[in-house]
Amino acid sequence: MTLEELRDRMKAARVEIAENRLEVVRRLLTDALRPIHAMDSRANRTLEPAVTFETVRSRGDRGQ
Amino acid sequence: MASEELFYATIRDIGARLRRRALSPVELTRAHLERIEQLDPKLHAFVTVTADRALADAKAAEAALGRGDISSPLLGIPIGYKDIYATRGILTTGGSALLADWVPDEDSTCGTRLQRAGTVMLGKLITHEFAFGIQFPGHRFPAARNPWDLERMPGGSSSGSGAALASGMVFGALGSDTGGSIRGPASFCGIAGLKPTYGRCSRAGVLTLSWTLDHTGPMARTVEDCAYLLQALAGYDAADPASSREPVPDYVAPLGRGVRGLRVGVPREYFFEGIDPEVEKGFEQALATLRQLGATVEDVQIPSIQSAGAFMAIMLAEAFAYHERDLREHPELFGELLRERLLAGGLIMGSEYVQAQRIRARLQAEMSAVLRRVDVLATPTSPKPAPTFAMVYDPDYGFPRGNTGPFNMTGLPALAVPCGFTASGLPISLQITGRPFDETTVLRVGHTYEQATDWHKRHPQM
Repeated sequence: MTLEELRDRMKAARVEIAENRLEVVRRLLTDALRPIHAMDSRANRTLEPAVTFETVRSRGDRGQ
Repeated sequence: MASEELFYATIRDIGARLRRRALSPVELTRAHLERIEQLDPKLHAFVTVTADRALADAKAAEAALGRGDISSPLLGIPIGYKDIYATRGILTTGGSALLADWVPDEDSTCGTRLQRAGTVMLGKLITHEFAFGIQFPGHRFPAARNPWDLERMPGGSSSGSGAALASGMVFGALGSDTGGSIRGPASFCGIAGLKPTYGRCSRAGVLTLSWTLDHTGPMARTVEDCAYLLQALAGYDAADPASSREPVPDYVAPLGRGVRGLRVGVPREYFFEGIDPEVEKGFEQALATLRQLGATVEDVQIPSIQSAGAFMAIMLAEAFAYHERDLREHPELFGELLRERLLAGGLIMGSEYVQAQRIRARLQAEMSAVLRRVDVLATPTSPKPAPTFAMVYDPDYGFPRGNTGPFNMTGLPALAVPCGFTASGLPISLQITGRPFDETTVLRVGHTYEQATDWHKRHPQM
């Protein structure tokens, strides 16, 4: 994420962050979003967002 | 002043003394209140010391013991609550100026359950601001200090809980864990801390950081003491939408079964990046100990583990959603660091949040597959020992990538247990993670390792 993109997002979200802290926030967001932007969502179209945590104990399965 | 041995006794030992009337809960509580008065001015672990309440609880425990009531192993045990757990009639600040005067009308479910178990509430323990922002100098609530080195952080966000346990001011504490806030302080303070399975312990009456990542759980000086606390805390709660109806097993009885035949998986990727050599050495020695105890240890792969950093996108977005109104109306009541972290969450797009949740589903599936082949995973809890305050107060200090967040993503039970010290005397910690709702095995592995070592018996010079 560039500083310009960060400023665009701030404008769209009506969020103000001090100019001298933009680089720190840019780094935080870049790290958080890196795996998301690296993901090709077409690779597994049936993969759904995880929102539940059901379990089958004996097999260690996690429901989705 | 009572002896150090008393303050560093385990819940099991002190409980036994109380039940055979060799020690009075009132006497024990008074000794702890004196210790807090002596030590807390330099540790800042407590926001509020509830001396009157503690003595009332202790007298009630004494009366119960007098009636022959020995049903609860926690009866008369002095503990503390992280200050994001609502306490009826008692200040609950969340470490925030926004809630500096908030006195809740109700108790959290966890608090209620510990009270029913007969514990003695010594007070409320400092948390990082809303469990996410470090208190900088000048903040209304000063940051807790690490008893092993006062110039270092005790970890967070359950910072007061970690500091109070390591300094012998409480026997147990409530923590909460969204990305490692139980296990991080446990690691940095040389104590034990369990993040149970998502839904195992109620979040009702606990301030939210991130709905789908928040967990509540116990912290103590030994794994067995965590098991006693978990036994009282675990179970369905209709007041928590994420609460599970999974039956609650006996967590204490199976602790002594050892680890012979258990399979321990070690995911080498991700969890060792940037690791401190002394931490790595301590961890490898812990694996050797587990092998000697009869476990088999093998490397395992979690193919998508490098995407676990998406955890932060979920936490930031959910935290912003929770705090947005207050952030916009009262920004001055948030610490500078917390404010900018929360505002960063407002810059994450809806589609990015959804993709992060899809990554989470993939990680859940992959970890489930690995946990069909092995019984638990082992990793270092934190790749580095506790940082100094000078490091974290540096304006360019970023949010550290830890080894704990992946298990908040996947909701799996994860335990931090001491596994050594650096040459400069800072604690090192082993993280043991298990299958959903299989806290029993996680605790059993941790307890067996702990009993074979003496790290948990070392205490800071206060």
